[in-house]
Amino acid sequence: MKTIVHAKQVKKVYGAKGNVYTALHEMDLTISEGEFVGIMGPSGSGKTTLLNLLATIDQPTSGEIAIDGTSILNLNEEQLSAFRRDKLGFIFQDYNLLDTLTVKENILLPLALARMNPAELERRVDEIADKFGIRPILDKYPHHISGGQKQRTAASRAIVSRPSLILADEPTGALDSNSATDLLESMKDLNEQNKATILMVTHDAFAASYCQRVLFIKDGRMFTEIGRGDASRGQFYKKVLDVLAVFGGGASDVV
Amino acid sequence: MCWPYSEVEQVTLFSLVRKNIIGNFKNYLLYFVSMILSVVIFYTFSSLQYSPEIQISIKSSAGVLSIFTQASVLLILFVAIFIWYSNSFFTRKRKGEIGLYSLLGVRKRTIGRMLFYENMIMGAIATAIGIVLGTLLSKLFTMIFLRLLESSFQVSFSIPWKAILTTFIVFTVITLLTSVQAYRLIYRFKLVELFVADKEGDSLPRTSFPSAVVGIAILAFAYWLTFQPITTNAEFGTYFSLIAAGLISGTYLLFRFVVLSLLKLFKRNRSFYYTGLNLIGLSQLMYRITGNVRLFTIIALLSAFTICAVSVGYSSHYNIGQMSSTASPFSYYHLSQGDAFDKEAEQIIAADGEHPLKAQLDMPVIETIADASALPFTPSNYAPEEVPVKLIAASTFNQAQEALDRSARAELKEQEAAVVRPMYTELSASDVEGLGIGVKLPEGSVDLVITGVFEERVSGWSFPDVVVVVSDALFANAQAQIEPQLYKAYNVSGQESTGDTVAKLSALEGMDSANLISYYTEYRRRLEEGGMNIFVLGFLGLVFLAATGSMIYFKQLTEARADKQRYAILRKIGVSRKDIRTTVAKQTLFVFALPLVVGLLHSAVILRALAGINLINGDLTVPISTSMIFYAVVYLIYYGLCVQTYNQIVTRA
Repeated sequence: MKTIVHAKQVKKVYGAKGNVYTALHEMDLTISEGEFVGIMGPSGSGKTTLLNLLATIDQPTSGEIAIDGTSILNLNEEQLSAFRRDKLGFIFQDYNLLDTLTVKENILLPLALARMNPAELERRVDEIADKFGIRPILDKYPHHISGGQKQRTAASRAIVSRPSLILADEPTGALDSNSATDLLESMKDLNEQNKATILMVTHDAFAASYCQRVLFIKDGRMFTEIGRGDASRGQFYKKVLDVLAVFGGGASDVV
Repeated sequence: MCWPYSEVEQVTLFSLVRKNIIGNFKNYLLYFVSMILSVVIFYTFSSLQYSPEIQISIKSSAGVLSIFTQASVLLILFVAIFIWYSNSFFTRKRKGEIGLYSLLGVRKRTIGRMLFYENMIMGAIATAIGIVLGTLLSKLFTMIFLRLLESSFQVSFSIPWKAILTTFIVFTVITLLTSVQAYRLIYRFKLVELFVADKEGDSLPRTSFPSAVVGIAILAFAYWLTFQPITTNAEFGTYFSLIAAGLISGTYLLFRFVVLSLLKLFKRNRSFYYTGLNLIGLSQLMYRITGNVRLFTIIALLSAFTICAVSVGYSSHYNIGQMSSTASPFSYYHLSQGDAFDKEAEQIIAADGEHPLKAQLDMPVIETIADASALPFTPSNYAPEEVPVKLIAASTFNQAQEALDRSARAELKEQEAAVVRPMYTELSASDVEGLGIGVKLPEGSVDLVITGVFEERVSGWSFPDVVVVVSDALFANAQAQIEPQLYKAYNVSGQESTGDTVAKLSALEGMDSANLISYYTEYRRRLEEGGMNIFVLGFLGLVFLAATGSMIYFKQLTEARADKQRYAILRKIGVSRKDIRTTVAKQTLFVFALPLVVGLLHSAVILRALAGINLINGDLTVPISTSMIFYAVVYLIYYGLCVQTYNQIVTRA
């Protein structure tokens, strides 16, 4: 199976000399096409740093990162922007919708940036709006819709350009449980039906249980990894909680 | 006793205020600079107003005082509005900080007093700095002004206490008002409101087709009015108030409805709207148009006013030489009063070594009455059948033309005549060719046919101004019936500076102002009026230019802060810095160009109307285009600055 994310010995150090802080220690990560991977870890564990590096918003101190076969470390600013536009989709905890655009315009923005022709573009938006059940609100502005609707809009925007990799940063963080379940179900469908590759950072065991594989990070190092295999979502949820319990107890005892 | 307590509080409060200003200096800088700018402008103006040089230099100071008073009222108004605007911009930026103090438990009264003191201190410092800078600038301006008047006065470096006092009073009042406003800030908002950033309007403003049509119709009407001939003073008043009202309301409707409709039209064009960042640019512009309408209107109108003011001032200065030659074609032109007198005058002129004589001429002129009822013009207050005319013989006229280095010559048959174009008219040959004029002489009337018009006059101007060139034969005939007036005309080089000789000539016994027409006197009078105009109008223009530019600049910077988050999102979803810079440049261009273009159009129309009623005349192309280009260039500089700062704000990581 094709490898989408290939990160090798990635290290990130913040600060200048005298006051250095290592956010990530030589970390390896491989994600194949069509995988739905979760990353969990306590605050300050380095999970957001990792996500930012993969999102090409930040650059590693050392190591290599290749996404969909392209090494992202040698690209310049212009190329990185184009790369983000074509290969990556983002879902953020605080939605990051533009309040001057309608829901529809927000969704089609990546396509407009890619200069797709208007007819094809509208067809795509309609298709996705149906999938996420937001067709009735397409002409509304973000101020007028609920949090769940905003996050579904953001998810629509993330996948509309059919990116190689969808990065989700705490997508359910600001949602009530019903909206969260709706969103996660949509993401699962997307993964299963469209073979979308998703990497989701979360601290919510329930959200993580939708993944096929969950990585646990602590203090900038890979702590452990569990796979769902053939287990049901409920069983996997329990497994995640078990690992978290070890996390919360003396982690050093386990390792 | 509560004294010790309040003393402790005072000290803490004061140090808090001081720390606030020093710690946040960058935030304060913008507000501070705009206050200093206002003080400098006002102080410079009022120090000029009170400076002894200027009081002395303007000899005919009848209307001057009122010009200065009116201008200073306008300035006070403007400065007050400008500071008020900057102040509200500044406080809006600090709402979060104020909210935090309140949250931390500082009493409302204390916060209010803190803001009050802070504003007072800044006002005091700004006034002090502004006066110092203004003192230096006003010296510079006085020198420029006196240079425009071509006056040789030395500029003293005195301290104009009256100007300082006026500035001090004006800005104390303004600072007090804004300080009270700052004090009330904490009482005006609920705590939670202080933490909510300014929200954009939450849906697109509505367009209204009828309002857009009405807007265009009103503007078209106002423009049409400027093309209508105005003959009476009453008409002038009505027309100009109608034009002003039309321009103001039409401009508002234009920005509010027409521009929005046009933007929506662009939006409907999917293949344009859905391409790249057009989506972002257009939606931002539409979103903000309601908030910007008032600003756009003010800026368009002020720009129009400024360009008109500067053009009028400049054109009056630009055309001084030409206007003076029209009124006095010769350097000196006086009525002969006997040989002895004429000799004396000639000697005075010859004695002036700095201005060598170029030409000298005797000009006999017959003054009589003519029936000019067939002609399209009549001097006001005269009956067309009984118009006083001045007759000049063709040969005399041709000699004068030669003395003045002009090429046109009069070639007239006995029954023919030519008219010299009267001042302030646009009379041309086609208006009068073939028409008759009946010159009345004691032995009977002579009917002449007009064969042409001379655009330039040869005799000094006096009212009524109907000069007819006739054939030598007819002149000889008329001379036999009416004793002609003999005029002595002299042309010298460097006639702009013949003040001393003119003074000597005027001192001759029997030489009153009606008998002596000199280029210098005409030139000097126009220079003083024109210099005054160009200075006052030009200075007001500069003030308005500075203020309108700063207003857009402030507005754009506020918006840049609000947009920061939006552009951060765009960066994340893959828009390059370069693309963001491009869309920012385009959006800002729209904001700058729209009011500027409308302002330029308005000014062109208003100037046309002013030229139509002869309020400005002479060659207008150069002064008007210079003023417009100058204004546009300064705006372009503002634009460049604005785009740069905007980009810095939104693309900084």
